[in-house]
Parts: sequence; C-alpha cells; structure tokens
Amino acid sequence: MNWTTFLHFTRGPLFQVSLLIFVGGMAYRLVRVVLLGWKGDKAPAKGSKLAGVAKTYLKGFLIFPFIPWVKRTFNRNPIMYLAGGLFHLGLFAAILLGTPHMLVWKSLLGFGWPTLPLPIVDWLAAASIAAMIALLFYRRTNSLLKLLTGPAETLNWLLVFLPMVTGYIMTHHLFFQYEVLFSLHMLSVDVLLIWIPLSRISHFMFYFFSRTIHGVEFGKRGVTP
Amino acid sequence: MSEETIYQRLEKNGVSRRDFLKLCGTLVGAMGLTVPPLESSGLPGHLLTEDQTIRKVAQALESKARIPVIWLEFQDCAGCSEALTRSQSPTLIDLVLNTISVEYHETLTAAAGHQTEENKQSIMKQYAGQYVLVVEGSIPMALGGAYCTIGGRSAIDILEEAAAGAAAIISTGNCAAFGGLPKANPNPTDAKGVWELITDKPVVNIPGCPAIPEVFTGTLAHFVIFGALPELDDLNRPVTFYGKTIHDRCLRRPFYEAGKFANTFDDEGAKQGWCLYKLGCKGPTTHNACATIKWDAGLSFPVQSGHPCLGCSEPDFWDGGGFYQGQSAPLNRPAATAVGAAIGAGAVVGAAMAANNSAQKKRAAQASEE
Ligand code: HEM
Ligand code: HEM
Ligand code: SF4
Ligand code: SF4
Repeated sequence: MNWTTFLHFTRGPLFQVSLLIFVGGMAYRLVRVVLLGWKGDKAPAKGSKLAGVAKTYLKGFLIFPFIPWVKRTFNRNPIMYLAGGLFHLGLFAAILLGTPHMLVWKSLLGFGWPTLPLPIVDWLAAASIAAMIALLFYRRTNSLLKLLTGPAETLNWLLVFLPMVTGYIMTHHLFFQYEVLFSLHMLSVDVLLIWIPLSRISHFMFYFFSRTIHGVEFGKRGVTP
Repeated sequence: MSEETIYQRLEKNGVSRRDFLKLCGTLVGAMGLTVPPLESSGLPGHLLTEDQTIRKVAQALESKARIPVIWLEFQDCAGCSEALTRSQSPTLIDLVLNTISVEYHETLTAAAGHQTEENKQSIMKQYAGQYVLVVEGSIPMALGGAYCTIGGRSAIDILEEAAAGAAAIISTGNCAAFGGLPKANPNPTDAKGVWELITDKPVVNIPGCPAIPEVFTGTLAHFVIFGALPELDDLNRPVTFYGKTIHDRCLRRPFYEAGKFANTFDDEGAKQGWCLYKLGCKGPTTHNACATIKWDAGLSFPVQSGHPCLGCSEPDFWDGGGFYQGQSAPLNRPAATAVGAAIGAGAVVGAAMAANNSAQKKRAAQASEE
C-alpha cells in the first residue's frame, strides 16, 4: 500500500460507500421528520402563512448586526455570532466556489459553475478555520455552553475541522507530500459524510424545516417576528 | 576485456580528451548532480564545486571497468527503448548504451534466437554479482506466467534467473515499475511491477510512459560511476528526478492560483495558456521531471504544449480517474440505481420506524383511555 493507492481508495470505493450512506441516511432522517406529522390546523389563521415564512427567512438572511432585532442577538453573544457566521461563510465559499470542489459537484450533478480565484477562497477558508477554533474555545470556557457540550458536539466540531485543516494545508503544500494530504483530506471527508446523517450537522437540511414551520406559525398568528 | 576502463574504451572509439571532459560535464548534468552524492567521496562539501564534480566523474570513468547491462523486455510496447534510441541527447545516450554497455537487449541486439540466449547466459556467468539488470514491461503472474513467454520460458522465470546475479535492477517505464497499462483494471494477466516480485535486490523505479530518457540514463550513469544507487523516495524513484511534482514546477501555475482555467481545448483560456486543471491535469500529484528536463532536448512537455498531465509516473495511473476529468472529481460516479436504492432503503426504514412508533403511541393512548 502506497499513498497513491490509498488516495485511489479514498477517492474511489470509500467515497462511494460514504456517499451512499450519506444519501440513504439523510433520506431516513427526512422521512422520519416528515412523518412526525403536522398537527391538524383547527384555529382560523389570523395572518398570511406565506408572509410569515418570507419574513422568517428574510430575518434569517439578514445577519448584519446593525439591524435592531439582530443587534439583540448580536450583543448577547457577539463572538459566537460572528464566528458562527464567518465559519459558515468560509465553509460554503470553499465547498461551493473552490475550483476542486466545484469539479466534485460537476461530476456528481453533471453541470458546473464559475469559481472564485484561489486566494479569495483561501483567505475565507483561513478565516473559517480561525472561527472554528474560536467557537471551540468558547464552548470550552462558557459555563452554560460547557453544559451543552457533550462528546457528540465535540465530534461534530472535530469531524468538520479535519477536512478544513487538511484542505488548507494541502492547498499550501505544507509538511507532507500533496498526495498524502489529499488522501487525508478525502478520508476526513468520507468520515464526515457518514457522520452527518447521524448527527446534528444534518441541520443544513432541518434548518429549513424549522424556519419554514416557525414562519408558518408566526404568520398564522399574525405575530411577525 | 573486462579490465579495460570506460575511458580507454572511449579513447579507442576516437573520443578526444576534450570531448571526454565535455561528456563528463553532460553526465554531471544528466545525473542532476551538483554536490551531495560526492560527499561520500570524503571531500568536505564546501570544497566541491561543479568543476570538481566533473573531475570526480572523469576520474571514475578513467579508473572503472565498464559495467555490462542486461535489458529484459516483458509485457511492454518497447516504447521506453524507443524513447531512448530516439532521444535528442545523442552523445549521452550513445555513451550509456554503447560504451557503458548494453550486452543483451531483446529488441536492439542484432543477433537472434538461441545465439543471443547463450550470449546472455555467458554474460550472467562472467559478470555474476556485477551487472545491472534493466527491465521494461510488467510481469504477468496469472496462469503460471503463460501470458508472456520467451523461448518457452515465462517472464517471471527469466526475471528471477537474471535478478539473482544482478548488482542492481532498474525498472524503466510505468509497466516494469508499477504494472502500467497491462495492470489497468481488470488486470487480466495479473501483471506486476518488478519491485513487487524481487525483494532481495536493490530495485530503482524510473516510471513514466515512457520513462524520460535523460532520467533513465542519468540514473544508470550514477550507478556506473559511483557504484551506488542515488537516493530514492518511498516508491523507489530517484529523488533528484522525482522529488517535485509537475504542479510544483509548472509554467501555468500562476493561472492555477489566480483561478484562470481553460474549460475546453479551444477556448480563450486554452489560447491564453491558462491552467489545465479543469481539463483533467494530474500535475498536482505527479512526481516527475517533465517540467524541468522536458522532452526533445528541452523543447517542450505535455502541459506546456497544451495537454493535461496524465500522471504517467504514478502507480495505477490508468485507473486514477478519467484523463480529461478534473483530478478532484471522485473516481467514478455512483450509479443512479445505487443512489436510488440508498434513498429508497433510507425512506423505507424511516417509514417503517415511524409507523411502528405511531402504532405504539396509539396503543399507549388506548391503554391510558381504558
Ligand atoms: C469529495 C469531496 C472533496 C474533494 C475531492 C476535495 C478536494 C480538495 C482539493 C483537491 C483541495 C486542494 C486544492 C488545492 O490544492 O489548491 C481542497 C481544499 C480544501 N477543501 Fe476539499 N475536497 C472535498 C470535500 C471537502 C469538504 C466536505 C470540506 C469541508 C468540510 C472541504 C474543505 C476544504 C478546504 C477548507 C480546502 C482549502 C481551500 C483553500 O485554502 O483554498 N473539502 N479540497
Ligand atoms: C444551509 C445550510 C446551513 C445553515 C442554514 C446552518 C445554520 C447553522 C446555525 C444557525 C448554527 C448555530 C446553531 C447552533 O449553534 O447549534 C449552526 C451551527 C453549526 N453548523 Fe451549520 N448551517 C448550515 C450548514 C452547515 C454545514 C454544511 C456544516 C458542516 C459540514 C455545518 C456545520 C455546523 C457546525 C459544526 C455548527 C456548530 C458550531 C458551534 O457552535 O460549535 N453547518 N449552523
Ligand atoms: S511504460 Fe509506457 S512506453 Fe514504457 S513499455 Fe510501458 S507502455 Fe510502453
Ligand atoms: S496545468 Fe496542471 S500542473 Fe500546471 S498548474 Fe495547472 S494543474 Fe498544476
């Protein structure tokens, strides 16, 4: 076994298996959530459900802290707020707008899109990694968060952190040969893919559920958030 | 004849002293040598200049008897031999092939049949423990080696016999080194590279498809001149030539960094000489000297002339993803049926669990009503 064969394994059979587990696992989670059922709607609606959904999403996307209601969340917890946003921004920039990643989507979906220059993705990736470290530090020191952080939360953090750092080190050709880091990057991605349906990282799907449901509820009651 | 030194032989062939020193200079360049390998000569490193390196090489050629080379071909296309004989560095190749000296070569030897076989046997006896064995092509292990036989003997049989008396083995080309094309999925002949089969002799791999002639000769010359193999990496490739990747030395690299890519072979990007990553370039993981030594006397190399690197110096490069598919893309797409099956399985299990739960809930509710 050499690194090139190992890379072929992590890019080939292992990736396929991980991807199928990911897809199957997410389908399972989705069906479970959908079949939990929506309680029958007996009270007459006081407002438009659609407007409620729209407003909830708008608020979700308006992450700038100068808007009054956002400011409240922001002031309560600025580090978490900024770091969380920065982390997701860098993550999405890398996995959607980095050239190597776009090519992964292209091979899976059959179409591609323009990508960002490497230095931009790279700076965002670096910011994202720094933000992750800040988030972990905060989780470890804040007394309330400490209570909410069990092994699962730490694993969530670690299994997202590993692809981020291996990708970053690989891009900069540091410490090891490129194919070694490529293998480790792929290995960590494969593990993450298996882990996502088992964990709360599946929030990338359920986030939209909870937002939609909250929006419908808010809209129905005429309490626009 | 075995006492004749390399220099004496060159002199006999009409090479002047001046030309000889020039050749030594070429050799130093070919071996990618500046100073390090000479440290073992006992001279303190800082005293060694390139001039002294050349003198060292000259001394070695003046004092050393020539080392015979036995060249075996198995499952190959003779492309590596072809590349060598058509190389644009004629003096160097001539020196190595004729003077340092290939005694047996299945394609190049003029004689044929039992006569050459006998000749090979007598060289192997006379130079036992001294000759260099060069192998081109992979060795098939399926059906007891029946896929490749010469004179009624299987490749593995011939290889083992010749390896037993060799001082060192050089596998030239991806086939002899890592199995190459014959080993590509589904590998019908169970092809193997030499180093998987011969483990009790030093084996140097000079992979490539074909191997770069100057890299092959440089490595052979190193052994002949210094009596030792150059420093090797974890795949037994000389570090001097395989230490860096194509991507490390690529002239299109600034475009990679800037995110400027050719998307097809005839778009504006291709005309501007932008990076070929999206067209499938394997440069980032390919260790070879193409980007520096190049081909045809330094004229060009694939990436320079507009074709993505195929990764021909890496193990199993035929199975390393489509040649024109981006290198980060998964090796193959999971079949739509497999994805469908996974989604279906997940959904069915989910629905079954949900049904089971709600049935339980109902039962519980009934129980509490009673
Ligand atoms: C099949 C999946 C993936 C493949 C084939 C892949 C491949 C790559 C490659 C080839 C690079 C290096 C680019 C270069 O050398 O310039 C890279 C960088 C990177 N990858 Fe991935 N990756 C995958 C998934 C992921 C995932 C899921 C994450 C995050 C959770 C991730 C995070 C990163 C980061 C942060 C970088 C560094 C970007 C930079 O600094 O510019 N990758 N990836
Ligand atoms: C549409 C996509 C996504 C949205 C809207 C989203 C939204 C959020 C929100 C609101 C939080 C904060 C809630 C909390 O602290 O528990 C969060 C946390 C987190 N998200 Fe996402 N997310 C998305 C995708 C992803 C993806 C794809 C990943 C990883 C591959 C990811 C990894 C994480 C992690 C690790 C945390 C916890 C950070 C910490 O507090 O330590 N998210 N996300
Ligand atoms: S490595 Fe390529 S050129 Fe050399 S023998 Fe094999 S197929 Fe032919
Ligand atoms: S053409 Fe290939 S080797 Fe050159 S920079 Fe682009 S990816 Fe790297």
